[in-house]
Amino acid sequence: MPLSDDTALLDGTTAGAQAPDVAVRLEPAGVTVTVPAGSLLEDAISKAGLRVALPCGGQGRCGRCVVQVKEGSVRRRSTVRLGAEQIEEGYALACQTLVNSDAVVLLIDAEPRQERIVGGDLADKVARESVPCDRRRAPVVSAYRVVVPPPDMADNTPDFERLQREMALQYGIRRITPSLTALARLPESLRNGEWTVTAVIEQRDPDVALALDPTDSAGSYRLLDVFPGDQPPRLYGAAIDIGTTTVVAYLTDLATGEVVDGLSAYNDQIARGEDVISRIIYGKQLARRVELRERVVGTMNGLLDEMLSRKRLTRDDILAVVVAGNTTMTHLFLGLDPANIRLEPYVGAAGKFPLVPASTLSLHVHPEALVDCMPAVGAYVGGDITAGALISGMTEGEEIALFLDIGTNGEMVLGNNEWLISCACSAGPGFEGAGASSGMRAVRGAIEEVWIDPVTFEPTVTTIGGDVPRGICGSGMISLMGELMMTGIINKSGRISPDIPTKRIREGHNGLEYVVVWADDTATGERDIILDDTDIINLLRAKAAIYAGAAVLCESVGLSITDVDRVLIGGSFGKHIDVEKAIQIGLLPDLPWDRFSYLGNTSLQGAYHALVCRTCRAEIEDIASKMTYLELSADNRFMDAFTSALFLPHTDESLFPSVQQSLEARKQGVSAV
Amino acid sequence: MAVPEVKEKYAGRIQEVTLGAGSRGKTVAIGGESTLPFLHFEGTVANRPAIAIEVSDREPDDWSPLLKEAWGDVMGDPAKWAAKAEELGADVIALSLDSAHPERGNTGADDARKTVRKVLEATTLPLIVYGPGQKDKDNEVLVAAAEEAKGERIAIGNAEEKNYRTIVAAALANDQVVIAKSPMDVNLAKQLNVLIGDMGIPKDRIIMDPTTGALGYGVEYSYSVMERVRLAALGGDATLQQPMVLTVGYEAWRTKEARTNDEVPQEWGDWAQRAILWEANTAITLVNTGANLLVLRHPQSVALVRKAIDRLMAGA
Amino acid sequence: MALSGIQIYKVLPQTNCKECGVATCLAFAMKLAARQAELSACPYVSDEAKAMLDTAAAPPIRLITLGAGDRKLEVGNETVVYRHEKTFVHQPGLFLRLPASLSDADFAAGVDKVAGYTVERVGQMLRTDGVAIEGASADAFAARVKQAVDKGLAVILLASDPAVIEAGLAAAGNTKPLIYAGAGADSAALAPLAKKYSASLTVGAAGDLEALAAATEKAVAAGAEDLVLDPGMTGWADALALPAQLRRAAIKKNFKQLGYPIIAFPGSLSDSAEEEAMLASLLIGKYAGLIVLDRFDQAVVYSLLALRQNIYTDPQKPIQVSPGLYEIGEPEPGSPLLVTTNFSLTYFSVAGEVEGSGRKAWLLVADSEGLSVLTAWAAGKFDAEAIAKAVKTTGVAEKINHKSIVLPGAVAGLSGELEEELPGWKVLVGPRESIGIPSYLKLLASQ
Ligand code: SF4
Ligand code: FES
Repeated sequence: MPLSDDTALLDGTTAGAQAPDVAVRLEPAGVTVTVPAGSLLEDAISKAGLRVALPCGGQGRCGRCVVQVKEGSVRRRSTVRLGAEQIEEGYALACQTLVNSDAVVLLIDAEPRQERIVGGDLADKVARESVPCDRRRAPVVSAYRVVVPPPDMADNTPDFERLQREMALQYGIRRITPSLTALARLPESLRNGEWTVTAVIEQRDPDVALALDPTDSAGSYRLLDVFPGDQPPRLYGAAIDIGTTTVVAYLTDLATGEVVDGLSAYNDQIARGEDVISRIIYGKQLARRVELRERVVGTMNGLLDEMLSRKRLTRDDILAVVVAGNTTMTHLFLGLDPANIRLEPYVGAAGKFPLVPASTLSLHVHPEALVDCMPAVGAYVGGDITAGALISGMTEGEEIALFLDIGTNGEMVLGNNEWLISCACSAGPGFEGAGASSGMRAVRGAIEEVWIDPVTFEPTVTTIGGDVPRGICGSGMISLMGELMMTGIINKSGRISPDIPTKRIREGHNGLEYVVVWADDTATGERDIILDDTDIINLLRAKAAIYAGAAVLCESVGLSITDVDRVLIGGSFGKHIDVEKAIQIGLLPDLPWDRFSYLGNTSLQGAYHALVCRTCRAEIEDIASKMTYLELSADNRFMDAFTSALFLPHTDESLFPSVQQSLEARKQGVSAV
Repeated sequence: MAVPEVKEKYAGRIQEVTLGAGSRGKTVAIGGESTLPFLHFEGTVANRPAIAIEVSDREPDDWSPLLKEAWGDVMGDPAKWAAKAEELGADVIALSLDSAHPERGNTGADDARKTVRKVLEATTLPLIVYGPGQKDKDNEVLVAAAEEAKGERIAIGNAEEKNYRTIVAAALANDQVVIAKSPMDVNLAKQLNVLIGDMGIPKDRIIMDPTTGALGYGVEYSYSVMERVRLAALGGDATLQQPMVLTVGYEAWRTKEARTNDEVPQEWGDWAQRAILWEANTAITLVNTGANLLVLRHPQSVALVRKAIDRLMAGA
Repeated sequence: MALSGIQIYKVLPQTNCKECGVATCLAFAMKLAARQAELSACPYVSDEAKAMLDTAAAPPIRLITLGAGDRKLEVGNETVVYRHEKTFVHQPGLFLRLPASLSDADFAAGVDKVAGYTVERVGQMLRTDGVAIEGASADAFAARVKQAVDKGLAVILLASDPAVIEAGLAAAGNTKPLIYAGAGADSAALAPLAKKYSASLTVGAAGDLEALAAATEKAVAAGAEDLVLDPGMTGWADALALPAQLRRAAIKKNFKQLGYPIIAFPGSLSDSAEEEAMLASLLIGKYAGLIVLDRFDQAVVYSLLALRQNIYTDPQKPIQVSPGLYEIGEPEPGSPLLVTTNFSLTYFSVAGEVEGSGRKAWLLVADSEGLSVLTAWAAGKFDAEAIAKAVKTTGVAEKINHKSIVLPGAVAGLSGELEEELPGWKVLVGPRESIGIPSYLKLLASQ
C-alpha cells in the first residue's frame, strides 16, 4: 500500500518547502518520482507506490532496507551493517539516506515476507491438546430450529416477540435481543420458511457478559441472524492470533468444534516496524495509526478470504470472531492509541475490551458477528498470554508452572490454580533471526541445527526442509551458540576467541566472526553465513532477558527457579526448540528435561477455545482478573538478574550443574584426544 | 537474659594473596578472613587491610595542588617518590606507568622495564604496576613489567573483560599476581574472575577490583556491591573469594570537594581537612565492606587510615 | 520474621476486587511484603489474618522520634541487615555534645553552629539534627535545654541526677528529648520520668548484650516504651561488632529486647576530629541510630552528611552516573561528541571503549533515569528532546568547534527528530554496540 504524500510529510524527515525537487528513478520497476531534495529514499520509494521492507520500522537498526544507489548524490545518516566496499558500490539504507540530487536507485529483493504457511499441522496440534472443557458443546454461536405459530387477529404479537416467546417455551432461552440484520430478515424468513426458522443465537456466558459489561444483565442472548426453514445453517467462527510478526487464523465449524482450515501470514505492519515499540513510535500520528490498523486488518482479511474460498464459504458464514494479541497489537487492531503503553507508568487504554461488531472493524465476516478480543493484564502482557495461560493448563493444579511465550518479547506467567503472576521482557530480535548478520525466519533453507567438531572446529548443519542453507533461524541460533560455547570458540562472556586455529574465525565488519557456511555452499552463493560478536551480544541479551524475567518472577513470590515443577513453552518459536541447547546457553533453567513441554501457538489455541467453549472463555476472563502483572521496567532486580544472565550459561554456574558437567566432560574429552 | 546466637557460620573464606618475593624486603599478605570486616567475634581477620601509595612514572598534571604540596619534587621521579612513600607508611607501592599512554608520552616496553627496575631498587616494598588504561599499551608495558619483575611477585593490572588474555598470560608466565577490574557490579566482577580463572591462573594470584565511586559520588554503590561480593564469597562462592583492591585515591581526588577550593560553599569547611577526609572517609567506608587493599594518594590520609585500621584490628 | 508475598496472599480474600488500589490480591500481598502498603487498605481482611499479619508487620527495630516540628528526627524501623536488600530507611541523627563546662557564650555559639548549619547536596538540604546537652545544676540545665529547643533542635539530655533530668525534660516541653543518664545508670528507675514527658530513654550495658537485653526488659516493665541502646563500645572494633550483633539479633532473630536504635559517641574513642569523623563514618555505614560528636568542624560535618545521604538511598535504583559532559582523554575542540544514557553500565562500557581506543572524545551523558539506551528509548526517556536538552544544558557547543553529534546506533531512528531539535547540527549514527566504537572512531578520524 503506497503512502500518501501527506504521510511522507508527517515523517518529519522531509526537507523544508524551499528545497528544490529532484527526480529519483527506481529500478528494476523503472518508475520515476519527484521529491524535494533531502527527502528520505524510503519516502521516494513509497511515493512511487513501491515498497522496501522496514523490519526495524525505519529506525536504522536492522540494515535490511538496503538499496543500491546507481547514480546521484545521497547522504547516509547511518550505514549499519554496510561495509566500506559496499558503501563504495553505492549500497545505502533506504530509511536512513537522504537524496540530494536526481538519482537512480536499485531496489533489492529481500527475503519474501508474505510467504504463507499452511497451518495444517497446527490444526492437528489443537485436536491433540487436551483442555478439559465442554468445547464443541457450548460455542458462542449456535443454531436453533424454531416453529413459530403464525399470527392472527387474536394474537397479533409482532414477529420478533413471537419468536422470543417460542424460544422461551421451546428452549428455555429468555431475554433475547435482536440484531438489526436479523430483524430485517425475520419477517421474510418466517414466511418463506412457512413459520419454521433457524435462529442463529449468540450466547455469552453470564459471567463474561457481566465482566465485559456490568450494566448488561439481559444481553446474554442475541439473535444474530435468522434463516427460513430448518436448513442446517453454516455456522463458522474465526480464531485469530495477531502476533507482532505473524498473524494466524483458524476457521472453525462451530457446530462440531472442528478446525476446518488454518492459515498464517506475516503481519503486514512489519513494514512499519518489527517490534511493538517501533510500531508504537510509528503510530504517533492518527493517520499512521489508521494505516497500521488497515495493514493488520488487511492481513486478517487476506487470511479469511483465502480460507473462505478454499472451503467455498461466504463471509456471512463466519458468525463469531475471537482475537488474541499482545496489548499493543490489540490496541492497534481496535484503533486505540497505544502511546501510553510505552511510557511510564505503562498503561494502555483498557485491559478488557468491548465486543465490537465486525462491520465496525471492516473484517470480512458476517457484519453482525461480534469480535471478542482476549483481555490484557498489563502493558506487555496481553490477550495472547491470558489465552495462552488457559491452554498451558497451568491453572489446573497445585504444581508450580512457568509458562513462557518466547518471541520478540518474552512474556511469562508463573503460578498454579491459586495464583498467577506475569511479566514481560524485551528479548529483542535475537531469536527471530531477523536481527543477526545471517539471520532469517524459520522457513525453508533456514539452518535449525548446528554441530561443531571440537577438534577441527568444522560445523555440520541441518536446515528446514533439507534445503541448501540460506541463513540461520532462531532455533539454529540457539544450537549454534550452544556449540560455540561447548567447543570453546567463544568464551563464557560470548567473545570469539582469536586463538582458535581455524580459518572459520576471522576479522569482520563487527569484530571477529565465525563462518558457519562458506558462500559457495549457500543458496545464493553470494555471502558467507556467519555469526559475529555483535550477533552474539544480541543473542546473549535475548536469552538473558528471558531467563532474568523468569528468575525475577520467581523471586518476586519468594520462589527459586528450581522450584518450578513444569515449564510450558509457547509461541511461534517453531517446532524445534532443543531443550538441551537452550539449557546450555542458559535460556531455559537447568531442570530435568521431562519438566519441559512445548505447546506451540498457545495464543491461537486459546482464542480457538474461547470461540468454541464459553466456559473456556469465562476461564480466560478469570485468569485475566487474577493474574498479577509485574512491570519490570520499574524493577532494578531485573537489571541485576539480566546482567547475571548475560554470561554462558550464567554468572552463577551453580544454577546450571548439568552444563558444568558437560563442560568438564568435554574438557577432559578434548584433552584426551 | 539469653540473647539468640547471631554468629554466622560461613562456608567460605577469602582467598589469601601474597605480594612481594625475591628481593622485596617485605611481603604483604591480604585476604584470608573468614568473616565480614573486623567481626572478630565470629571469625578470623587473618590480615589487616593494606595500604598502597600511588606513584606515577610521570609528573601528574591533573593532581590537586594539595597533593603536589604534600609530595613536593619527588613527583618527577618514580624511584624517589616510591622511597618517600615507603618512608611515609605505605605497605605497597602502586606504580602507574601512565607515560605509556599514547597521549601522555607514548613510552614503550623498554621505558617500562627501566622504570620498574628503578622503583624495585628504590624500595623494599612489593609493587603493583598499572598500565595506562589503553588496551595495546597496557599489553605492551604490563608484559614488560611482568618480565622485568620476575621473581618479585608483583601485581599487574588492570585486566578487564575486554582485555585480559595477554595480561593474565603475562602474570601466569612470570609468576605474578593479576588485578581483575570490572565495572561496579557484582555479576561483572564474578564473570571476570571466571574468565580469568578459565585461563588457568591459580586463585592465590588474582586480586579483584570491583571499582569504587568516591564519597558523594557513588560510594554507596560500591558499599553494596562489595558487601554482596563478600557475603557470596563467605557463603561459599569460590569465584568471588578474591581479595579486593580499591583505587580510592584516584576516585576521591577527582571529586570537586578534594580537588579545589574555588567557588565552593563556605559550609564545606577547610579545604585541606575536607580533601583529606574525603579520601580517608571513602577508604574507611570501603574497609567497612571488605576492602583488602587501598590505593591512596595523600600522606595524611594514609596515616589516618593506617591508624584506623590499627584500632579496628585491636579487637582481634 | 518477614512473610513472603505468597504467604500473605494465602490469608487474603483472593477475590481480586481491586478496592485496595491494586489489581489483584497477590499484588497487594507483594506490596505488604515489601512494606509499601497498609493492611487496612483491604476492607475484606479477616480478623484472623489481621492478627497474623500485624505481628509479622511490626518493625523489628522500634521507631523512635526525637525533636518536633520540621526538625523532627525519626530513627529505627529498619528492616534489613544489609543495605543491598532494601533501603536503610531512617538516617542516623547527628548531634553535637555540649559539655556542662562550656561558658554560656560558648554554649550559645555551639547551639547556633548546629542550628545554623545547612548545606545543599544534589538537590537536598542537609543538616545536623541536634545537640546533646550535658547537665549541671537543674536550673542551668533547664535554661540550656530551652535555648536549644527554642532553636528548633532535637535534644539529648546527658544527665544522671533524676532532678536535673526532670528539669531538662520540663524545659524540652513536647519536643521528645532523649534521656541519656550514662552507661551504668539504672534506666528502669528513669522509666516513669520518660513516660511522663513522653521522652525516649537510653539503656546501657557495657559490652554485654545479655545485660543489655535484661535492662531493656526491665525498663519496658517499668513503663518505658521508646528506648535507645548504648551497648558501651570500648574501641573501634567494638563499634562495628556490637551494632552488627544487635542488628542481627533484632532483624534475623526478631529479638524484641534488642530491637531499638543504637547511640554512639565516636569522639570518646578518637584523638582528633579526623579520627572522630572516620569512626562516625563507620557507624553511619553500619547501624548507628544516633551519633553524638564532640567536635564540630564544617569539613567533618559535611563529609558525614554526604556519606549519610549516600548510604540511605534506595539500593534498588539502577546505578547511575550523573548526567553531563564527560571528557575522555583530554579532548580537544575538534574531538568527536558522542551521546549516551546515564545507566552506569552503559556509561562504563561506552567510556571504556573510547578510552581503550586511545582516542579522545566528548561523551555527553543524557539523563535517562538510569536506564540503558534501548530500554530508555523504549520508554521514551532517551529521545531527541532529552538529547537536545543535554546538549543545551551542558553548553557543549562552546567547547567544541564542530556541530556533529554521534548517536548510538540502536537509536538511529532518532536522527531525523534530533536534527530538528538541534538546528544546524549534523547527526551521525554510531555503532549499535559499544564494542564497535574503536573502529567507528577510527573511521571518523579518517574522514
Ligand atoms: S481489597 Fe482485599 S480482596 Fe480486594 S483485591 Fe485488594 S486485597 Fe484482594
Ligand atoms: S535499517 Fe532501515 S528499516 Fe531497518
